[in-house]
Amino acid sequence: MSRQSAAVASDSLGKPAAPPRSYAWLQGLLCGVAATLVPGPALLTAFLLAPGLLSLLLDQKPGKPMARAVLLAGLAASVHPIGSIWAGGGGIGAALDMLGNPAVLGVAWLTGAGGWLVSELAPLFLRVGMDGAAAARAARLRAERTRLVEAWDLEPRAEADQAGEANPS
Amino acid sequence: MPGSDAPLPEGLIAGLYKADPARPVSGFDGASAFVARGVDAAEEFLAIESPAGMAPRALALKALANQPIPGLMAPLAHGPAKLPGRRPAYYVVTPSPPGQSLLGRSLPGRSLVPPSRAWSEAALLALVLRPVAAALERLAARGVTHRAIRPDNLFQAAPDEPVVLGPAWSTPPASRQPALYEPPYVAQCRASGRGEGGIAEDIYALGVVLIVLALGREPLADEEPEAIVRRKLALGSFAAIAAEERLPGELSGLVRAMLAEDPGQRPLPAELLDPVFARGRRAPHQFARRAPEPLVVGAHEAFLPRSLAHALAETPQVGIRLLRLGVVDRWLRRSLGDPALAQAVEQVTQRRARDATEGEERADALLLMRAVAVLDPLAPLAWRGISFWPDGLGPMLAEGDAASPIAEIIETEVLAAWAACRAGREPSAALSMEARRLRALAQRGGLGGGLKRLGYFLNPLMSCRSPLIGEQIAVTIPALLTALDGSAAEPDRRRDPPMDAEIAAFILARAPGGLEADLTRLAPSSEVLEKALVPLRVFAALQVSTRAGPLPRLGRWLATQAEPLLGSWKERSRRKTMQEQLSALAERGDLAAMLKVVEDPSARARDAEGLKEAERTLRGIDDELARIASGAPLRAEKARQLGQEIAAGAGLAALSLTLVMMAFG
Repeated sequence: MSRQSAAVASDSLGKPAAPPRSYAWLQGLLCGVAATLVPGPALLTAFLLAPGLLSLLLDQKPGKPMARAVLLAGLAASVHPIGSIWAGGGGIGAALDMLGNPAVLGVAWLTGAGGWLVSELAPLFLRVGMDGAAAARAARLRAERTRLVEAWDLEPRAEADQAGEANPS
Repeated sequence: MPGSDAPLPEGLIAGLYKADPARPVSGFDGASAFVARGVDAAEEFLAIESPAGMAPRALALKALANQPIPGLMAPLAHGPAKLPGRRPAYYVVTPSPPGQSLLGRSLPGRSLVPPSRAWSEAALLALVLRPVAAALERLAARGVTHRAIRPDNLFQAAPDEPVVLGPAWSTPPASRQPALYEPPYVAQCRASGRGEGGIAEDIYALGVVLIVLALGREPLADEEPEAIVRRKLALGSFAAIAAEERLPGELSGLVRAMLAEDPGQRPLPAELLDPVFARGRRAPHQFARRAPEPLVVGAHEAFLPRSLAHALAETPQVGIRLLRLGVVDRWLRRSLGDPALAQAVEQVTQRRARDATEGEERADALLLMRAVAVLDPLAPLAWRGISFWPDGLGPMLAEGDAASPIAEIIETEVLAAWAACRAGREPSAALSMEARRLRALAQRGGLGGGLKRLGYFLNPLMSCRSPLIGEQIAVTIPALLTALDGSAAEPDRRRDPPMDAEIAAFILARAPGGLEADLTRLAPSSEVLEKALVPLRVFAALQVSTRAGPLPRLGRWLATQAEPLLGSWKERSRRKTMQEQLSALAERGDLAAMLKVVEDPSARARDAEGLKEAERTLRGIDDELARIASGAPLRAEKARQLGQEIAAGAGLAALSLTLVMMAFG
């Protein structure tokens, strides 16, 4: 349940709505700790996962599905570079060198873009497929209906069926 | 051998006699007649056609079947036939007449007998009285009357040969008898309503014949029938006919006895066979009190109760008025001097008040009927100006004569009321039972009920008069089926159902029980399905019960009419199958099998159950189609959620794969 819907639910119970709780301070604290303790890997991670982090800011949908897909895809491409710099000591210089390599940064960002693309296209393809299946089912039902009506001299086609034929999806 | 279930062969009667329409014999029994030959013999016979609208005498034909009687042209065979160039008709075959009739009717190739010679007493007794009395005795032994004894129906091979009684079987009893030859209580009846009568009526006619032959001419030849009846009632039959004539020797007494007014006082045929007895027979003394002043009833002047009864019956409106005003009983008491009779009439008049609860007109008719019966116990039943004998109802219905009064007579059980008034002259209980039976038959409703059914019931040899069989003759159920099969050859016929009121009435009267429920349910207002199913059910039952052969054209006719029946079956494929089956069975003429196809209860139940199942399925389909039509937003949301899960899953899978690859170097 989203915060907004939780607030609405609270309203519906007649109690004052609690202000949404923010964990931004915790995120900031963690980032600061990481930047202090492991500045190289933190810098590299920040840059490699920049599309995902950006999508976290932009994605306002509940559960942030798009950002989740971009982050997971970007993380899959970033694991190897981050592991390499962690094994090498993790200095800022090494991180900058690695960021200077366009293959590393490009792969991570393209992979993130791939995650975004999948998150956008998968629902679309699924809907087309589901509508197609529904239309096919409606066609089979109409054929069966026509057969029954003709076989038993039943009443003409119902309004529901006509509506289904006009707008199967 | 009435009826045949095969199509009528040209000119063949009962399969035994072939009539030749090119050799007509005029005037027999008042009907057309033709020379006929046996199929296997050269001997000539006479085929007499039963006139249209008249039913042959079934009782007589049945009683005399295959029983030749010397001195009588008894029926040898009878049945429907189609003579070339003539309409189909019912024929009765008798032996050929031995010669000319006593009035000189001619037969082809035979010489004429002088018609006007006066016969001697000896010749009358030997050549007329004894042979005719012998034939009448044999007829009486079989419970049959002749009722057509008159000079033109008596035949003689040669002047010294005994006469032979002519035929009397193709028309209702006495329907062709002139008033002279019948007692007044018969002559005043409608021609078709004279009834079988008794052998005493034949004796009466024979007595008149003896007078005519003895005189060499017909007395009262110039008189109208009504005038002859009045004269006989006023003077007595013998006096009316022969009082002013000179009859030879002992004949006068014999004839007087034969013409006795009371049939119970006439000699029996066996008594007439004895010449001594015949000569010595004297009529009982008959005394009728005569009023000095007549009672005028319309155009009639009545001096005697019998004349008064006749006058009342002939002019019912005037008679009813006189009865209700008490004029009749006053005349009986004061002028005739018969207080007992006056009191009886007065009681009848008083009884009218009770009858008036069921209608004034009916009460008046009952009053008149009872008054006539009281005044003249010998008189026939008089109802609304119609006089008839109860056993004449059948022929009257066959002629379509006076249907409305007859319906009233049946409905009111007039026969019972009449019998109760006749002071022991008629077995009252038997007539009461007959009246109830006729009423019960006529009251049954539905198609073919009422008088139509009664007409066929009372006339066993009356052909079915349905226009659906056209001119064909059908007096039996197999013949009806054959006739309908023949009619079905005309495509125009098949537009209407093969069952109308006439056919239904015919079947109800002729077929064994079991079909009554179906036909009674069938009425002009019946539902279409009933109208289609009942004929098939009835004809199928008749085909089975009479073991009739295949009826392919009737089958096709019924199949055509079965369209509404097929329409009542819900499954189209089943209808098509049934249609094909019906067509195939119709071609075979198997009506029972056709009925099984359209009246299969288990198949009907399966059809109904299938319809219910189809309707249930249809409702389910409609619901699902409605859900599909309204489910687009739901599917879109589902696709979005699932798509996002797939994207996340793909990312997670890639991450997992990378980690695994790193872990394993």
